[in-house]
Amino acid sequence: MGVFKAEPAKVQDWATRSVGAYWRAYDIQLAMYALLLAGLGLAMSYSSTVVTGVNPLDPSSNFLRGLMWSGIAVIVFTTATVFDYKWLKTFAWPIYFVNLGLLGLSLVIGTGVGGAARWIAIGPLQFQFSELAKILMIVVLANYLAVRQDRLGSIRVILGACLLMVPTWALVMLQPDLGTSLVLAGILAGMLFMSGASMKWLTVLAGFVIAMIPIAWTYLLRDYQKQRLTGFLNPASDPQGAGYQVLQSQIAVGSGGLFGKGLTNGTQDALAFLPVGDTDFAFARLAEELGFVGALLVFVLFVVLLWRVLMAGYRSQDRFGTIFAAGIGSMILFQVVVNVGMVIGLLPVTGIPLPFITRGGASLISLAIGLGILQSINIRQAKAEW
Amino acid sequence: MVDERPGRERQLVRFIAFGIAALIAISGLTARMVYLQLVSAQTYQKLAVSNSTFQQAIPSTRGLIYDRNGLLLVANLPSYSVKIRPSDLPFSQRATVVAQLAALLKMDPADINASIDGNPGSTFDLVRIAQGVPIETANLIAEEHLALPGVEVSVDALRHYTQSSLLSSVLGYTGAIDAATLKQLKSVGYLPDDLIGRAGVEAQYETQLRGTYGMETIQRDATGRQIQVLSTDSQPIAGDSLTLTLDTKLQQQALTAVNWAMRAAKLKSAVLIAMNPQTGEILAMVSTPTYDDNQFAQGISNAQFQALLNNPDKPLLNHAINLQFPEGSTYKLVGGTGALADKKLTTTTLVQTHAYIQIGPDKFWDWNKRGFGAINILHGFADSSDTFFYQVAQMLGVERLSYWARQFGFGAPTGIDLPGEVSGIVPDEKWKQDTFGQAMLPGELVQAGIGQGFDTSTPLQVLNAYAALANGGTLYQPQVVREITGPDGAIVRPFVPIVLHKLPVSAGVLATMRVAARMVVTTHHTYNLDAEPFVIAGKTGTAEFGVRDAQGRLPYHNWFVGFIPLHGDVSKPDSQLAVIGFNEDANTVGNSATEMIKYFLQIHFGVRHDLRKFELMQKGNFYGGN
Repeated sequence: MGVFKAEPAKVQDWATRSVGAYWRAYDIQLAMYALLLAGLGLAMSYSSTVVTGVNPLDPSSNFLRGLMWSGIAVIVFTTATVFDYKWLKTFAWPIYFVNLGLLGLSLVIGTGVGGAARWIAIGPLQFQFSELAKILMIVVLANYLAVRQDRLGSIRVILGACLLMVPTWALVMLQPDLGTSLVLAGILAGMLFMSGASMKWLTVLAGFVIAMIPIAWTYLLRDYQKQRLTGFLNPASDPQGAGYQVLQSQIAVGSGGLFGKGLTNGTQDALAFLPVGDTDFAFARLAEELGFVGALLVFVLFVVLLWRVLMAGYRSQDRFGTIFAAGIGSMILFQVVVNVGMVIGLLPVTGIPLPFITRGGASLISLAIGLGILQSINIRQAKAEW
Repeated sequence: MVDERPGRERQLVRFIAFGIAALIAISGLTARMVYLQLVSAQTYQKLAVSNSTFQQAIPSTRGLIYDRNGLLLVANLPSYSVKIRPSDLPFSQRATVVAQLAALLKMDPADINASIDGNPGSTFDLVRIAQGVPIETANLIAEEHLALPGVEVSVDALRHYTQSSLLSSVLGYTGAIDAATLKQLKSVGYLPDDLIGRAGVEAQYETQLRGTYGMETIQRDATGRQIQVLSTDSQPIAGDSLTLTLDTKLQQQALTAVNWAMRAAKLKSAVLIAMNPQTGEILAMVSTPTYDDNQFAQGISNAQFQALLNNPDKPLLNHAINLQFPEGSTYKLVGGTGALADKKLTTTTLVQTHAYIQIGPDKFWDWNKRGFGAINILHGFADSSDTFFYQVAQMLGVERLSYWARQFGFGAPTGIDLPGEVSGIVPDEKWKQDTFGQAMLPGELVQAGIGQGFDTSTPLQVLNAYAALANGGTLYQPQVVREITGPDGAIVRPFVPIVLHKLPVSAGVLATMRVAARMVVTTHHTYNLDAEPFVIAGKTGTAEFGVRDAQGRLPYHNWFVGFIPLHGDVSKPDSQLAVIGFNEDANTVGNSATEMIKYFLQIHFGVRHDLRKFELMQKGNFYGGN
């Protein structure tokens, strides 16, 4: 654990540091774990491309697109690392409004399955701005909470943070994107908790949210969302309907066994039994093809990645860095637990992607931005603390 | 929470709390993964396999059928079948799809609906809608699969009967399996859309003809689309082929004679059977009216089938074996042979014949109202004297008469290898008690002596009895299938004549009865039959049945049964051709069955002149028992 400094480093302190000093503070592990996870994601993308009979080197193949996004993500990550995160504090409010603007634009010109307005086409690539919204909101909230670090015992700051989230949350719900709105809630909760906000008021807030669930169920959720939420409770009752995905997903995972069927040898997704096996249920495919060993590797990588994320936060000399890391950590943990929980039948079906593994450019780019900023925070501390 | 001031220490606590929460959550996930992937892996692996694969039968090639000379009678033609999988046909679209299919297939929508509703399997099983569909129509339907959900086109082998209706009553036909049969045969691999032998040889030899279906494992996707054959678990084994005992040429000749008799005597139904008395082989077997088995092979419509089913002349039945009739005077063979064997008579014993014999208040008339005077068995049989055989029956008594009837094969199925054979009736004391709860009356006994009263037989039983006479006393089991040949051409079952039993009677008695049968012809009882260049011995029969008309007359069937001695000498049991003609409800001036057989033999032996007596074929009031 680290040495505590009374004051965060001044701009001129680190501006004069050598490149070598930066490098020593760079968290090579963080980058490596992220890269390994992204590699696994690419492997699954390759598998799903091959089994559908598409040449993986075809420009339209999911694999090549994934490769392209990975390349972009590395550039974005590096750029974010080099970029001084402290400027984010200055731009927090513009970022907030840009975020709302992009989400608004998605509603107007976005496309998606079943009339949803989620994706915006950028050339040949599709981008889901609700993914980016998660990172942007982490920046905004981190700034908001860091600025108010002395008043975190007050209910006003907590409610303020919530209110800040409401417009984003509402725009996402309108798409409709239940999954992202849940992640946003998870991020908010995690950041409030980690920022040191009053436990008393957080408990009251949690109680209030739980009390609101019946109302949200009645007025906010659409029928298909309700069906997905209840389907997991008893998938066998309706194996062809709402419980179908859950059942088939568990068959995929279970049939993988210890070592899996081998990459590209899975049948559950290849024969279309597994719904959306290359996106939300990508982990089911991974567990089927790479087995328990592969799944455990994914878990271990996420655990060590989270450890590095939390360490970056803990090492941070300013509150912004700490709370920002808490946001990224909350986001990753929430998504891992809810996605995997869904795949293995512990939690209801919500469209939440598994970071790195679920195919999708926006998710990867957003992670690259988030982790890049974390690296930026890492290298701008006085010294590396392990 | 007294101290609400944030600080590094509190943050450390929360970092640790967050880390612990993360570890607990991911441990929970891991625990579930252990359960799914390590504990229950086998269960889920099975589920994944059954999800994505299914076993599908590979139909075997049905065996072919040849006549005794190797002429192909039944072949398999590849043809397009249209089938529906009801589970894939949404109920809301059913009416539209059925209407479209009906238009494309030129079928009655009601027939299609009946097929779907009569589906013997589950709604996931295919239902056969049409077979023998022209390729253009099949292609059209295959292309329209989006507009016709649940409709599938497949290539099946269709039975083709090369001789059309010539051999229908023997060959039978194949048809869709029904629910009850499917239930019985599912365990031996029958499928809901299977075809199965429904009549004749096709039904009798179903097991041999069908062969053994193979099995393959197919990979499918979630929509049920077949992806690939994963493995062939067992190869199909083609069915055995059959060689019949029947001779197509002889059958054609028989049919020509029958068709002439049908027209000339305005008959509703007739039977002609030819057999080799030395082996029991059936050489020809015509039963009219009949049907065209190709109509069945191509998928008979409900209306067509109902028409056949409701036809009062019963075209779907083989009248030679599926129906029983009073034998009339042909039955006198039983009494005559029995009386000689039991030594009630010798060839020289004279019996006084009368116009009638009186039993109590009842008179039992001879067909010849003058009687024949005192005559021996040869003349009694040749003249077919009824009063002679009334007395013969009285000499024998009911038990001996029925004993001899059974010796000749009456009262029991002959065991011919065709389905649905009836056994006929030989009345005796036990039968009378069981059926009517009373003893045989004396009048019933004398009637039994001339094949009237309770006596009934199939035409085949009568022929088989005379075949035993012709061959010197061996009762054979008639057969229509000569050999069974495996798919590799090897003979699986060679032809072996099957002896039911030997008649317990001396060769001399049977020789006497054969001479008597020859005298039937030579005494001109059969008009000019003895003028033919072939030697034939036989017996006519006129069997009354039913209810008397206004003049007190009964309708009657005509019989003629006979055999051709190999070298023209009836004393020798060497005949290789026995024939029977039966004309149901004929009511002709003369014996139309005799004329029918005469014509058949004229054609068969290539006789130049035509000795048919057309005037005998007129409807008339011929009456009595000749």
